[in-house]
Amino acid sequence: MAQLEQQDPIYRTTPERTYKMMAIMLGICIVGGGIFFGLWDFWISMPPVVPGAGDAADHGAPVAATGKEIPVSLSFIESSDFRTLAFNALPGEEGNNPTIMANVGDKIIFDVVNDGKSFHSFGVTAAEEGFEGIFPGSEIAAATNPLKAGEGGASEFIPTEPGTYYYICTVPGHRMQGMVGEIVVGESGSSGQATAAAPTGVSHDINLDFIESSDFRTLAFNALPGEEGNNPEIRVKSGDEVTVTTTNAGVSFHAFGVVTNPDDFTSVVFDSAINSATNPLKAGESGSVTFLAGAPGTYYYICTVPGHALQGMQGSFIVE
Amino acid sequence: MVLELQKPRPIWQIMFSTHHTDVGLLYLITSLAFMFMGGALALILRLELFAPGTQVIADSMTYNRIFTVHGTTLIFLFILPSASAFGNYLVPIMVRFKDMAYPKLNAVAFWMIPPAGALIWLGFADFTWYAYPTYSTISAPGPAADMWIFGLKILGVSSLLGAINFVVTILKCKHPDLPLSKLPLLAWSYLASSLIILVAIPTFAAALLMLLTDRLGASGFFNPGMGGDPIAYQHLFWFTFHPEVYVLVIPAIGFMYEIFPRFSRKPIFSHSSGVAAFVLLTIVGFASWAHHMYATGMSFTEKTVFMVGTLAAVPASAMHTFNFLATMWGGRIKFATPIMWAVGGIALFFSAGAGGVVNSAMPLDFITHDSYWVVGHFHLFVMGTILFGTVGFIYYMFPYVTGRMYNEMWGKIHFILSFVGTVMVFFTQHILGLFGMPRRIYDYPPIPEWVQMNIIITVGAFIIGISMAIFLGNLIYSSAKGKPANMDDPFGLGGKYYFPYQAKNPHH
Amino acid sequence: MRQMVSGNMSGHHSTWPEWVYVGVVIALLCYVGAEAWNIERIVEHVPADAEIIKVVGQQWLWTFEHEDGTKEIGELHLEKGKAYKFEVTSKDVVHSFNIHDFTVLMDAVPGRVNTVWFSPTETGEFPIQCREYCGLIHYNMRGTLYVENGA
Repeated sequence: MAQLEQQDPIYRTTPERTYKMMAIMLGICIVGGGIFFGLWDFWISMPPVVPGAGDAADHGAPVAATGKEIPVSLSFIESSDFRTLAFNALPGEEGNNPTIMANVGDKIIFDVVNDGKSFHSFGVTAAEEGFEGIFPGSEIAAATNPLKAGEGGASEFIPTEPGTYYYICTVPGHRMQGMVGEIVVGESGSSGQATAAAPTGVSHDINLDFIESSDFRTLAFNALPGEEGNNPEIRVKSGDEVTVTTTNAGVSFHAFGVVTNPDDFTSVVFDSAINSATNPLKAGESGSVTFLAGAPGTYYYICTVPGHALQGMQGSFIVE
Repeated sequence: MVLELQKPRPIWQIMFSTHHTDVGLLYLITSLAFMFMGGALALILRLELFAPGTQVIADSMTYNRIFTVHGTTLIFLFILPSASAFGNYLVPIMVRFKDMAYPKLNAVAFWMIPPAGALIWLGFADFTWYAYPTYSTISAPGPAADMWIFGLKILGVSSLLGAINFVVTILKCKHPDLPLSKLPLLAWSYLASSLIILVAIPTFAAALLMLLTDRLGASGFFNPGMGGDPIAYQHLFWFTFHPEVYVLVIPAIGFMYEIFPRFSRKPIFSHSSGVAAFVLLTIVGFASWAHHMYATGMSFTEKTVFMVGTLAAVPASAMHTFNFLATMWGGRIKFATPIMWAVGGIALFFSAGAGGVVNSAMPLDFITHDSYWVVGHFHLFVMGTILFGTVGFIYYMFPYVTGRMYNEMWGKIHFILSFVGTVMVFFTQHILGLFGMPRRIYDYPPIPEWVQMNIIITVGAFIIGISMAIFLGNLIYSSAKGKPANMDDPFGLGGKYYFPYQAKNPHH
Repeated sequence: MRQMVSGNMSGHHSTWPEWVYVGVVIALLCYVGAEAWNIERIVEHVPADAEIIKVVGQQWLWTFEHEDGTKEIGELHLEKGKAYKFEVTSKDVVHSFNIHDFTVLMDAVPGRVNTVWFSPTETGEFPIQCREYCGLIHYNMRGTLYVENGA
């Protein structure tokens, strides 16, 4: 016992105080654990706001291409001092920024090439100024990853409402320097066929399961490619009532919608969405939607999570 | 529990005290609690990675959240507070002043840590401790992500307040008879790490604020669609966190500067070399940050600049290693638990540094970047050097803080198991990285070499886990019921090797 | 006998071992730095005839586009012995394009195109993986590189 008494007596802690401290700390952990596990779903329930994603909602419900196809060839050209930019020909020359006439439902197919020396990219917008509000599916390249000299691309645009739209170069400032042309859209020319039939009273009940291959490389509805039942074709008549029930039989997350363009997950029609990319169905969850099949045409049902349609989660939805 | 105060005090009085020893004790208990919690998370991760397929964690989101909180906790809630703990305890004594320069600010800095820890642990974000955009700005779900950002903001302020306190105490409050050149190396280590914090942390504070406004959609600093650049965040982040890793390691080296001369019963080989090495590391540490970003598309010249900056910091660490070995050489070493940890720490420090030189070589980094090699490398630093140094110092300071001796046998068993486990886990992870296994993955394809190595690593991790359970038991039992220590010479080193800097020590 | 104080004063002794040691360390580091500089300089030189492959990473798949417009999803078919330059970008978050067996590694950053080149020296199937955390299925953002003998 080598306790030295020349200093003041040393205070050492006791087992009781140690137990008290342990109890306090354990109590904190239990309360914290209770709060955490009790609200398990809450802590990761709110995906962040993605700026620019709100634009998609402004475009209204796209329709299928029920009119004619209008191919348009455009090229980006520049004046030699780079001060003036335009499509096809410089201002004052013939063919400068050609105006495109179309009707609602027509599919305008753009074939665009960069005949200049600088960088350009393409898109269609309804905005009268600037480069925002580009309709999905109409873009070729982007301001942040543009077409270099000599490069080109293709895209399409199906106007859903009459009015004036603008095809522009989406590199900031280029529209102001002259790279803009008009698309004048009139009322839908075709009758009857472009509009939905009255409700027929016929109901369809369709079950679709989101399926993933074990390596996640291939995704599909109901069965993997090669197996029976893979991405079944759905055929209904215009005006039929369709109830789609989807179950997420995979491990990842998915959402559903009937679209006009399988590459564009925002082109959902008929109010046929079940959940969405920002609020998807988690593994094991199910959802369903009931909607009326609208105007006749060829549509697609897809998983609306970006990339999933590309990996195989798409099938035909034909309205007769 | 605190030694200097002679009467038993209620726990709440200790909690709200501003005396440096009390604040130091609070930091110590908090940091140890988070050490065990963060370590437990690691064991869950390793259990999941034991074999391909799902073991104990049901989905990858949970796995991602666990490794995010594991890293965040151990860096911000264990290593930094434990350095602060001993700094608070010892710096005023080392500079022969009555308390820290700003005692109330000191307590405020401590009390920011529990709420920040609560924010981080309740949210359990999933975007890794780096929080790189654009994942963290457009894809990571809230409120977990936002809670993490707020928690780290608070911790940053706490670090800054502590750093200000240390710098002012050391430079302005030191005893007039004590020149800077005679200041103990442990005090120098706190000066160095605090100066780094003062320069580096504000950059990260800015980056966090930018992340938050980006997440709210109010700005586009890191959003290419709004003209921003995700790589800008990486520059800001690593400008802070590369120097920050020196903040983490420098106090641990300082601890070793206390342990080696005492237990070798011989003065430190070269005090001035130690000071020079700390100063050099502090300055050169700011020149190497983008060696974490070689794969982001930097130009050849940029990469070369940062490679040179990285290599330039190595001689300073080498000087410390030499100092320790030269101190032990020719000494009459008493192999008690603290020096075993310090020696193990130096061996692992050397290995970590060697692996780091490989990473800094530009072409080689393209083999190792973001693979398990990097995981093994940095863990050899944080676990092998910092944790080993800190734990050794905890054993060394145990009699001083509690008045009792820990159980020496269990302390040595703790060391042996930890050392074996650390080598098994982190050396193997280097090889696993060379075979291509990426970091931060919930599951992996059944490549035979990967499977074998992951089994070894998981077993090693559990060996470390067992040793840490032994440590916890030793700590709790010995502080309550351990044998009362000989307060003049608890380790029986003999002669004049007193406790650190007791005011009554005549040599001061 | 050296004066034994509490460890913060060094006794009088020669310091040449330390200088030699630091000198050796610096020499080694200079060697590593010079060698790394030289090799990286050689490795980064892209051959003029390299075929360009556009690589786009997105959560959680890789898509590829060859010069002739052929698109592949999740798989890439290349020929042994030819040089290929990858132009790597991302559509959403930061990914990292990695073919570990050929040491191809380059981050896919949205808003930016990074380039890396290689020439496959063996035929066979090689894994393509993502080497930057990108969320839920980062661990399985994989593809396969098929290297075949030239047609």
